[in-house]
Amino acid sequence: MSDYTFGIKELDDAIGGGIKKGSNIMLIGPPMSGKESILKLIAYHGAVNNENAIITVTTRESATNILEWFKENKLALPLSKIAIVDCVTKTLGGAAVENENIKIASSPVDLTGIGVKISQFFEDFFMKKNTRKIQLHINSLSTILMYSNIQTVFRFLHVFTGRIKAAGALGIYVIESGMHDEQAIATLKQLFDGMIEIKIENDKNFLRVVGLSSKPTPWFEYELEGAHVKILGEK
Amino acid sequence: MVETGIPKLDEILGGGIPKGKSLVYYSQPGVEGEVFGMQTVYNTLKSGGNCVFVVSSTIPDIMKGLFKEYGWEIDEYKDRLFLVDAYNPLIGAPSNEKYIVSNPDCIESFNKIITDLIKELPPSTIVFGSLSTIMDLCGEKETIEAVRNWNKMAMLYNHVLVYNFTVWPYTNETLDIIKDDLFNAVISIGSIAERVIFGQYFGILKADWAKETRTSMLFRVLRPGGIKLFIPKILVTGPFDAGKSTFVHALSTQAISVDRLGTTIAMDHGHVDYKGFSADIFGTPGQERFDPIIKLLSGESMGVFLVVDSTNPADFVRAKHMLEITKSYGLPYVVVANKQDMPGALTLDEIREQFNLPGDVPVVPAVAKDKLGVFEAFEVLINKITGGT
Repeated sequence: MSDYTFGIKELDDAIGGGIKKGSNIMLIGPPMSGKESILKLIAYHGAVNNENAIITVTTRESATNILEWFKENKLALPLSKIAIVDCVTKTLGGAAVENENIKIASSPVDLTGIGVKISQFFEDFFMKKNTRKIQLHINSLSTILMYSNIQTVFRFLHVFTGRIKAAGALGIYVIESGMHDEQAIATLKQLFDGMIEIKIENDKNFLRVVGLSSKPTPWFEYELEGAHVKILGEK
Repeated sequence: MVETGIPKLDEILGGGIPKGKSLVYYSQPGVEGEVFGMQTVYNTLKSGGNCVFVVSSTIPDIMKGLFKEYGWEIDEYKDRLFLVDAYNPLIGAPSNEKYIVSNPDCIESFNKIITDLIKELPPSTIVFGSLSTIMDLCGEKETIEAVRNWNKMAMLYNHVLVYNFTVWPYTNETLDIIKDDLFNAVISIGSIAERVIFGQYFGILKADWAKETRTSMLFRVLRPGGIKLFIPKILVTGPFDAGKSTFVHALSTQAISVDRLGTTIAMDHGHVDYKGFSADIFGTPGQERFDPIIKLLSGESMGVFLVVDSTNPADFVRAKHMLEITKSYGLPYVVVANKQDMPGALTLDEIREQFNLPGDVPVVPAVAKDKLGVFEAFEVLINKITGGT
């Protein structure tokens, strides 16, 4: 049994049962294709079924919102395995209180600060909670790229994808397709072992995984049913 | 002299930073380096000086909030603190500050404000919250040239310039200039990491006015409180009769052992101060029935000495096992090949081979009873812990 799986059976089977330790994966798709829900479900599944610790860097919605989402969908998260680096709340002027699960970064520009918070959570899980199976989710690189140029983001990711590899963790990084030029995506791709691609055709959602098995998986048509990714069939 | 306010650092620098000099806090990513600049800001204000703080990575109001989290009330000093807002214009938000960098992605825009401030203000401490952010936005070469110029002007106008810099993987050329050339002093801030970060230290890479002192201090960041030094714990383990207690006593300025019939049954404890680095040393007992104590003692250690009897390879299996117990947390370690003066002692290469040690694990020869090799081993381990910088 692998340390890391997506929790979508068809997809896990198609890549041979699970994801290799130390992988860095890009999750790329158009706006409103359900990327964020898919990411949250991967987190939920990892925490509940694989005993993974999940560190999420959020640049779009506040940590409180994320936790609410799970509550609304009646998914009971094991909080001891959840860590969120919130880069939104402070810049919006909200009351930002850090606790065991939430650390607040001062802005999406503050990559140094974000890096410190990620490292602290890593240390927490590794040393204090003795959890070695850790997923790092960054949602999203697109927001970070709005504030910093591609070289800056590349350098930041270079450091953290390296740490993921060394620690045998799993990194998933969200990118909006169609928002950045091809060259930017190509530059970032060098840092990743594979990607989850999402596309919408004729109002149908498809996803596939590239780079984690000898050839790309087929395109799976899927639907989000409440809090589940339901695979309808292969294309 | 302007004090940095970082404990021990001012002492090592000979009192602080002389007027006209520049200093960079050179921090590895993931380490809490930002607080160094902030602590210097607060300390300057507290001791009656003027301070300029250039805020690049967040809204100045949020930055003020961060000072509060450390328990540093900067409001009291607001007539001596000049915040330069280099963030709000970047995101197109209005700024409440008097000094605003109108185009934070253009070095000229910085140049104008900084050179004006350098000329107008009485001798002050000018702190840059994030030089790397300026560099990311304005370009590496352009920023380096501007900094060179500011540092020169500061010398003329008797200011002290302090920069926070995060060592992202920039080109080697850029990093070399920053480390070797651009500043009067470089304080390196790093982490003790084996897969993950679990300890932070700072050390002086360079300070052209102070006596060169190769010193590393471990620190923690408290909220409130800021940077506090702390004394690390180092573990000494190894099989029965390898000479652990002798090693602890040889290394320590003061030591005590809990012994029965000449062998350690609970632990040895010593304290060492060597070349500016201090540590508490804990020796474990060697007999198997005391293994639970090893686990207990190894918690929160920063590194391990594995002491072996060079004449007794039969015990190496046991030594390996003890290492596994302590190393369950991925600590850096050094093998101390003790009793090298005895007939039949294996060479270092033979020991390395018998242990099947990874190439990066040092083996240090020693005769603990004569205090030979003990301090060498300590230095090697400290270097390994602090990454050799």
